[in-house]
Amino acid sequence: MLSTKNIISIDDLSIDDINLIMENADSFYEVLGREFKKVPTLRGKTIINLFFESSTRTRTSFEIAAKRLSADMINFSASTSSLKKGESIIDTLKTIQSMMIDLLIMRHSDSGVMNFIAGNIDVPLINAGDGKHQHPTQALLDLYTIKKSFKDFKGLKVAIAGDILNSRVARSDIKLFKRMGMDVTIVSAPMLLPENLEYFDSNYVYDIDKIIEDIDILYMLRMQFERQDRKYYPSIKEYNRFLSLNMERLKKMKRGSLIMHAGPVIRGIEISENVMNYAENYSGFKINTQVTNGVAVRMALIYLMLGST
Amino acid sequence: MIGSDNILIKSGTVFESSSGKEIVSDILIQNGIIRAIEKNINVEGISKDLVVLNCQNYFVFPGFVDMHVHLREPGNEEEEDIGSGSRAAVRGGITSIACMPNTNPPVDREYLVNYILSKSRLIDFKIYPVAAMSKNLEGKKMTEIGLLKEAGAIAFSDDGKCIQDSKLMYEIMKYASHFDLPLILHEEDYSFSNYGLAHEGYYSAKLGLDGISPFAEELMISRDIMLAKMAGAKIHITHVSSKGSITLIKRAKEAGIKITCDVTPHHLYFNDSFLESYDTNLKVNPPIRSEEDRKALVSAISEGIIDAIASDHAPHFEAEKNTTFKDAANGTIGLETLFKASYTKLVREEKIKLSKLVALLTTGPAKILNIKAPAIKVGNKADIAIIDLEKNKKIKKEDFCSKSKNSAFIGQNLYSEVVYTINNGRLEFINKSC
Ligand SMILES: [Zn+2]
Ligand SMILES: [Zn+2]
Repeated sequence: MLSTKNIISIDDLSIDDINLIMENADSFYEVLGREFKKVPTLRGKTIINLFFESSTRTRTSFEIAAKRLSADMINFSASTSSLKKGESIIDTLKTIQSMMIDLLIMRHSDSGVMNFIAGNIDVPLINAGDGKHQHPTQALLDLYTIKKSFKDFKGLKVAIAGDILNSRVARSDIKLFKRMGMDVTIVSAPMLLPENLEYFDSNYVYDIDKIIEDIDILYMLRMQFERQDRKYYPSIKEYNRFLSLNMERLKKMKRGSLIMHAGPVIRGIEISENVMNYAENYSGFKINTQVTNGVAVRMALIYLMLGST
Repeated sequence: MIGSDNILIKSGTVFESSSGKEIVSDILIQNGIIRAIEKNINVEGISKDLVVLNCQNYFVFPGFVDMHVHLREPGNEEEEDIGSGSRAAVRGGITSIACMPNTNPPVDREYLVNYILSKSRLIDFKIYPVAAMSKNLEGKKMTEIGLLKEAGAIAFSDDGKCIQDSKLMYEIMKYASHFDLPLILHEEDYSFSNYGLAHEGYYSAKLGLDGISPFAEELMISRDIMLAKMAGAKIHITHVSSKGSITLIKRAKEAGIKITCDVTPHHLYFNDSFLESYDTNLKVNPPIRSEEDRKALVSAISEGIIDAIASDHAPHFEAEKNTTFKDAANGTIGLETLFKASYTKLVREEKIKLSKLVALLTTGPAKILNIKAPAIKVGNKADIAIIDLEKNKKIKKEDFCSKSKNSAFIGQNLYSEVVYTINNGRLEFINKSC
């Protein structure tokens, strides 16, 4: 059993919860390697996957996780175009309340929406990403991925590179990594950072070359140049010079170091075309492993929220 | 009892306006006029319908003036109207209000000023219309400032918006200075507040809410101080929210610029750590800022830099607040908590003198607006708020009589309760729970 009913922020989980999730993820990872990949654990349970923001990756990952546990999974892709967002949320909530479901997994583009939902319904809730706030299951699967490569979290040097300001992944990951004793450095630029960095409590450099030789893990964040509220970054060329991973930098990285990304990677921005093509040959390249681990970790989480009763 | 204009206030602690002293006294009101302020007034022979209010444990204040109120009429009467707004005001001990022009349509023509004034007379409540500075609040073309003044506007403002065109702002200042009316300025540089949802600081970073830098306010205050100096205009900065703004205003005052300012009770009471719950009632513009900013506002009150406290009463119907933080409308209602919240924070917690608070709610705003301040003086029409300062109550949504219930103070324990309000010489409100 976990100590919390809802998982909105990574801070909702205790260290015991996190360890429990990691242990269970190991067992479920083993299930995923079997020929018959399904366990009957959650037969009869109903889960809703409610996505107000399009995401193939996370939605599918939750869906597979639920199905492998034999739960009934209903995908509910709410359209936000025709209605005002707020109204559609209230309406959807009413529908959900009347459906007697066991778990709600939700994603929405507004920060804090999960706090609003949790205050209005009784069903346990997993935050699958809310605006620029939190993405706790991403942080858990990232931690699990790191755990599989290193003996101990303590003292691991992690660099998180890119758009911290607009990233829910950064908010969840940095908090979790710090809690597990890792040494976090933010590699970014002022226009991609909050004015006040106190919350992140991390080192900060503006040039990836300053840390590339020292780090154990390079975590790249997605950089969306097309978003209006991100218009202050000068160009992709500038980004490539200071914040991207290219072949030259890859070669400088320590033996055994990891490259991670929450996906989808925008080739040529965060990671160069060359590196992407070479990735298969490099064992430290974990972007696809993260996806597989995501299913195991989400199975563990859903199981711990629903199955142990 | 309600509606009576022959009243004896018995043994209240009176804030006498001429001396500024607190004295335990009776006040006799006949036909709405204050006839005597004395101990143990002998009422033998005075008309039988005299209403006697026993006020041994209560304070007797002049009716308060709220210089920043959104009444939503015309156009959004489902949120508030002039009638419901004035009832909420009276319940908060307020007997005069200035209403902002961002209605639908905005108050940018004479007939709209006339409309508000005629309603005000009809319900016998003092409402002072503030007219728009720019047509349709678009920040593009000046309104008929002279004609609007003649119609009865007492100040000009584009509140809710800020004129970004500096030349237009300068021309408005020069022209308004002919008519000696204050410009009430909502200061916001949009390039710094675009997309913003919360004060830019620790909590916006934590909560993933786009930040609004204090620069948004401070840059425009700096600009307007320069423009006002050149134009010789009288400017009033409303709902000042940041420490930097206070410094700018203080220096401008010292330099002899005709500048005044107000703060809201919510900026004095809350800091941005309260946003952790994503409570949409705390979504206001300018945003609730850091504890450092809040403290600077409180110190500015002690130092005499702040000229008034005003509520920025902004009613919104349920659906506009019962949604995500991003989608929620800006604003909190504030008429019914104007005194309570200010009193609780400033007098009870920060140990600021009660007389100072009363001045910021009466003579302060009256002077800015150049209107007669309600005063407890023989010969004056009675505008009086009688308050139990010891009462302490948790604020509940259902307790508000404003049409909208979006109060930032819901859930807070606040001191004091208005027991009676006498408005325009008549007993208009009796709090039955006191
Ligand atoms: Zn305003
Ligand atoms: Zn306002």
